[in-house]
Amino acid sequence: MKELNVEALARVEGDGGITVTLDGKKVKSVTLDVHEGPRLIEQLVKGMTPADDLNVIPRICAICTLSHRYSAIRGLEKALGITPPEKTQLARELMMLGENVESNSLHTFLLALPDFLGYPSAIAMLNDYGDDVKRALRLKKYGNHVMAVTSGRIVHGENPILGGFGRYPSKKALEEIKLKAHELIPDAVRDVELFASLDYPTYPEAEMLFMSVNAPKKQYGFAGESILISNGKEMNVEDYKKLTNERVVSHSFAKRSLYQDKPFTVGANARMINMGKRLDGQAADLFKQHYNERWLKNPLMNNLAQAIEMLWSLEHIPDMADKVMALEDPKIEQPTRQTGSGTGAVEAPRGTLYHHYEVKDGLIDVADIITPTAQNLDDIERHMKLTAERMLAADKKDEEVRLGLEMVARAYDPCISCATHLVRLKRV
Amino acid sequence: MTKQSPKIGVYGFTGCAGDQLMILNCEDQLVDLFGATEIRSFVMAKSDNHEGELDVALIEGSISTEEQLKRIKEIRERAKVLIAIGTCACHGGPQAMKLGDGGYEERYKKVYGNAKINVSKAFEAQPIDAFVKVDMYIPGCPIDKGEFLGAVTKLVAGRTPYLYKFPVCTECRWKENPCMLYEGRFCGGPLTKAGCGAVCPSHNLPCVGCWGPTDDLNVSSEYNLLKEKGYNPDDVLRKIRKFGGANVAKLLKDIESKGAKK
Repeated sequence: MKELNVEALARVEGDGGITVTLDGKKVKSVTLDVHEGPRLIEQLVKGMTPADDLNVIPRICAICTLSHRYSAIRGLEKALGITPPEKTQLARELMMLGENVESNSLHTFLLALPDFLGYPSAIAMLNDYGDDVKRALRLKKYGNHVMAVTSGRIVHGENPILGGFGRYPSKKALEEIKLKAHELIPDAVRDVELFASLDYPTYPEAEMLFMSVNAPKKQYGFAGESILISNGKEMNVEDYKKLTNERVVSHSFAKRSLYQDKPFTVGANARMINMGKRLDGQAADLFKQHYNERWLKNPLMNNLAQAIEMLWSLEHIPDMADKVMALEDPKIEQPTRQTGSGTGAVEAPRGTLYHHYEVKDGLIDVADIITPTAQNLDDIERHMKLTAERMLAADKKDEEVRLGLEMVARAYDPCISCATHLVRLKRV
Repeated sequence: MTKQSPKIGVYGFTGCAGDQLMILNCEDQLVDLFGATEIRSFVMAKSDNHEGELDVALIEGSISTEEQLKRIKEIRERAKVLIAIGTCACHGGPQAMKLGDGGYEERYKKVYGNAKINVSKAFEAQPIDAFVKVDMYIPGCPIDKGEFLGAVTKLVAGRTPYLYKFPVCTECRWKENPCMLYEGRFCGGPLTKAGCGAVCPSHNLPCVGCWGPTDDLNVSSEYNLLKEKGYNPDDVLRKIRKFGGANVAKLLKDIESKGAKK
């Protein structure tokens, strides 16, 4: 028996590896191993006030810090009977657009693209693809800036709180981000063209099931009260446990999810498949132009989906900034009860993120956090196994198989810190 | 220059990867940073990583598995200078907030049940200096771009970085923010190290203490002062312990021994 290992999966957030166990040419198993140490955050926030919880839980993950905060806010506001004012809602949507631009540009360019072009990192691409890398850095910096303007800081901003914001972004800051968004739209269009021109290998292809939140008013978006499943079903977020069925596996500190005993995928591709018809602007045109049947079975298409989504986010920032600045700053809405429960669901750039809370006499009694990567892990392993089988059958070298597997894992934009809360190829 | 470029390794342990992300967030300086130094290892950013002798090891995260413990010791052996970056590496971070309360096993069971996990034996998270010598601390949750780049620039030039030693209150004065403690809002500022630019008070929000305890802090006196002002001691403890982890636990012992608690 032989093992093919990727000891430390590079260009992902967190500490993981991949192990492929081979018996001759037969692939016995492929596992995505999470080495990241456990943190037990759900247990640590027990007994805290909801406000204190909001300080701690964004620290689960730096890349989806605002998604964690927003999901928790949605769950806790339901639990405490808080209805956020309109301006608060809009400013939250604006911060999510910023996070989407930041995270999607980081993942597509700095983490995923080097594989397709044959480089070890985006920095190594500078000589040959300097314009592309610099364009990506501009977009990323802009996304960070929108996050800072809305949340107070580029990472772990504390400004969004229950019932409102500590301080709303100023008119001047909003005008600036509006102007800059218009300037950067052509950059984002070029990114879509670049990602549409890449060769996406067929090895991982198989039928897939996708889930995402259902944004309200039949619009595309990153938060909602129900979950769309690509089989046509829809479910209330309060029933999240039926969708995610968490379980523990022996090779990882990250929990796993199955829906009706089957693995599923969350992320930008899932959002496009469930809500792509709701896109507008140039993003809609490019989506129509590049969408095809392969999106339904190839997880690598998530890279292109993220590029299109980044454009959509960018196109919506000016309008959202206008809406925010048109309204007077409301006062912070206070809890109307101290005991209750609620579930928040938002679309982090890498997929649906649930925060469920039960609050008793003003203190957190139960916290249940289900991250997108935890939901994706089973499907990542399924597509990696197919890739390993097909590449070995095609007599690919171990090095090529390793890269093929890493590309599948990376396409999911995994957040291992989140899930712990990645390639070893083992021949036995 | 290239021959003398300092060899740097960036490593992440248990945490949120926010400090490594902050390095990648230096978009305007990233190209220069990779040019002026030889980044030998940075797994989050690149796949051509080479281990070996290092001039500077930048460590993010706390230590919470046997495997990590082995690895941090091995990095320490081959690094001339080891810098803890971020609050988790410096103080243990949120995952160390209940360090030493004896409840770890029970919390672990509640999350993972009795399932067998054969990855590496886990234990309650602790800061880096619980296991190896740390030469420099750059705290922050996450680290501040300016403070980080300032320190790296000085190191590359062979000089000693200047790092903040005073509390957030000083930065609040610079920004002319009104003091929240006078408004009856408990603020972690007096207990917390500066470096963030007093970002929360500048947004009309009390400091959450995410930089960890400041140096040369007279905790006992500060604690009594807050108590006199009518703040609930239990709230104060909980607030400052959220990020300060292990080091706040030490401070608390000190307060208790001086009879300040309750």
